[in-house]
Amino acid sequence: MMPAAGTDRRRQLVTAAIGTALTLVMGLVLFFGFRLATHMRADITALQAASTLQTYPEEISHQLNTLRDRLEVRAYAGQALADLQSTVQRFDQELRQINAAGDVDAPQLGRALLLWHQYGPVLEPVISFTGQPYVDSDSSGSSLSREGRAHYAAVKRAQLFAADNARPLQTQLSTLAQTLQRTSSAAAARLRSLLLGGVLAALVLAGAAAYFQFTRARHERAAREAQEQTRDILKTVREGFFLLDADYRIGSVWSDALSKMFGREDFAGLSFEELLQELVSPATLATATKYIKLLWGDRAHENLMKSINPLGQLEITMDNGHGGKETRFLQFDFHRVMGPQGIKHVLCAVGDITSSVLLARELHESQENANAQLDMMLGMMHVDPLQLVSFLDTAETGLKLVNTILKEPARTDAEFRKKLSGLFRELHSIKGEASALNLKSVASRVHALEDMVSDCKKRPELSGSDFLPLVLKLDDLLAHLRGIREMASRLTALKDSVPAAPPAAAPRAEPPRPERRNAIKVEDLTPILQSMAERLAQDHAKRFKLKLAGLAEVPSTYSATIKDCLIQMLRNAAVHGIEAPEARRAATKDDAGLVQVEFRKVAEGYELVFEDDGAGISVEALRAAALKKQLISEEEAAGMDNRASMALIFRPGFSIQEDVSMDAGRGVGMDVVARSVYALGGKIGVSTHPGKYTRFKIVLPPADAASSAVA
Amino acid sequence: MGNATVNGKRPFKLLIVDDSNIMRRRIERSQQFEELQLVGTAGNGFEALELFKKTDPDVVTMDLTMPRMDGIECISKLVALKPAVRILVISALADKATAVEAMEKGANGFLNKPFTDRQLNEAIAELMR
Repeated sequence: MMPAAGTDRRRQLVTAAIGTALTLVMGLVLFFGFRLATHMRADITALQAASTLQTYPEEISHQLNTLRDRLEVRAYAGQALADLQSTVQRFDQELRQINAAGDVDAPQLGRALLLWHQYGPVLEPVISFTGQPYVDSDSSGSSLSREGRAHYAAVKRAQLFAADNARPLQTQLSTLAQTLQRTSSAAAARLRSLLLGGVLAALVLAGAAAYFQFTRARHERAAREAQEQTRDILKTVREGFFLLDADYRIGSVWSDALSKMFGREDFAGLSFEELLQELVSPATLATATKYIKLLWGDRAHENLMKSINPLGQLEITMDNGHGGKETRFLQFDFHRVMGPQGIKHVLCAVGDITSSVLLARELHESQENANAQLDMMLGMMHVDPLQLVSFLDTAETGLKLVNTILKEPARTDAEFRKKLSGLFRELHSIKGEASALNLKSVASRVHALEDMVSDCKKRPELSGSDFLPLVLKLDDLLAHLRGIREMASRLTALKDSVPAAPPAAAPRAEPPRPERRNAIKVEDLTPILQSMAERLAQDHAKRFKLKLAGLAEVPSTYSATIKDCLIQMLRNAAVHGIEAPEARRAATKDDAGLVQVEFRKVAEGYELVFEDDGAGISVEALRAAALKKQLISEEEAAGMDNRASMALIFRPGFSIQEDVSMDAGRGVGMDVVARSVYALGGKIGVSTHPGKYTRFKIVLPPADAASSAVA
Repeated sequence: MGNATVNGKRPFKLLIVDDSNIMRRRIERSQQFEELQLVGTAGNGFEALELFKKTDPDVVTMDLTMPRMDGIECISKLVALKPAVRILVISALADKATAVEAMEKGANGFLNKPFTDRQLNEAIAELMR
């Protein structure tokens, strides 16, 4: 798992907080430290000054004494006065300075100043003396002059004052110095504590930062490991995983299998539509896109969405990397990833299920084959062995003819198309017989072949290679027929080996006699046609009776043709002619229809009449269908009378059934009938009354004449 | 059809749309929600639309292949009339594309025919959630 964005943010916030706190602490320490240091410097200056000052009063007293001594002995007093002046001046100056600096807030200073204010005026007359203290006379030598006496008196006053006040002043000043000393010691202690506190705070913060850094590194390592694990998972899983965002675009992480499946790497930011658009049909793409949008809605819960997933088994065609194409089956699974504000992502898991799909198909096919074989066997048990053998002979002959057609060299498109039409007719008649015998496995195979031929016909251009798949399928069909023949002989052997079979089954259990193999009498057709009629009625939900008459009269030369024609016409009647029972009831007809077949000898040879009491044929519908199939042009259609229109039914490629079923609708049918009748030198006609009946009449020449015509 | 509650639950009005009479009765009989009150059944999209306007149902079960107006078109129209309507598509069409189409048009659930009573009730319960 990747570390969540929230954790990252929190981490950034903590880093910022620690940094800010550290800066703040250092700033405060610096600020207060600076202030304390400034105070201390002032205090120390004041202390120095106070220390110096406390010596002054005594010095002044001492200098006053010296001055008085000098004056009394009439010695030179100028130096002593000058010293006193200088001392008083310095004291006054320094005391004022301390006061003016304002750094000292102690009562002693005020008291000292008060004392000095009283002291100053007393000293003032002494230090301001500028005259000559002595007068020299011969009589008495040096004596004090008048100024000198005044000066001396002033000095004595000052001495007296000093005797009383110098000590108190000194005491005040020395106390002041002590106070200042204490203050600055306290300030120094405060500064020490401040610095200590600052250093401790910085240490604590640094420790926090270090711890935080450590945990971050641990988290990052864990995250890196998790990322690696995620990477390993994504590298190893066989499903293609990716996340889709709200714009249906792929996120930045996906599993390696995805690259392999889609043969690309540029998934980041790719939209889901872009991922699929080259690989699937536009319709599938549209459905898939709609589905993805629905996933982002909250209308359907996950199980429902899963059940309608249109990409549960997606067939895609891609390059196989060797220049060829390859079909694969992918399974897309979608899971919503929920966030606090609803759906955050859609997790998409793509699995390559090609092998399981193919396996399932194989299983299904073999199951089908097994079922088909069973069906075939059951079907065969109901078929007269003689008819079966006859059918197999005819079918094989027919298929050989198909093979011949396929081998015919062809160059032009028209020739290819002619080949296709020939092929189609042969297949159609084989299918007809197979259906009549209820050999569904054969009929469905031929039907599939017909489908392939139809597809070929629809192609704009035809070439020899288009026939290749047909040849393969044809081989398969021939193998199937051989299988049936083998099974038929085994079945016959089995039937022979069962003694005392019930009498009802007995007549059909006869083994085929060699001399009858190639010629069935038409009378044998009755059961075939009856069972075919039953099957048709059942398959198309119709009800009708089939009445057959005179089929015993059919000469052997015509038997094959008559059989083909009857099968075809019966199919047409069941599919197009006879209406559904409800429709018949609505038209006040019997629920069950009637199909009548009559064969008889007539003057010009033989006549076969096939009539059903169904819906009849609508001339308009015929013309419309022919127009739609472009068998005729609009002008031709307009100029057609009813007779000409009815003749359309015998044109090759005509059918009015829209959807193709096994029994009719391919557009072959009456044209095959007509062609075989013409081949025998006969004629075919149709008459109909809408809502009442359809009647086909086939007239064939006497059998001898026909045999020369077919030869 | 008042607004009274059924055993303390808000009643839902149900409309069943299916062209098969048997299927309509089957759905009506099989659903076990006492708060669901059947207000009508319709055999095609047109009937459904008319009934819908008259009865204003909350829940509709909808077949897809019906004469005159098919289910998909009908869903669009019903949703346009009442966006809050809950529609359960009940169809034999196994085609996923149709299911997606129906959901896109506004259906809320999908149930394949044939279905068991349990499947039907689960689907309806999911729909009324």
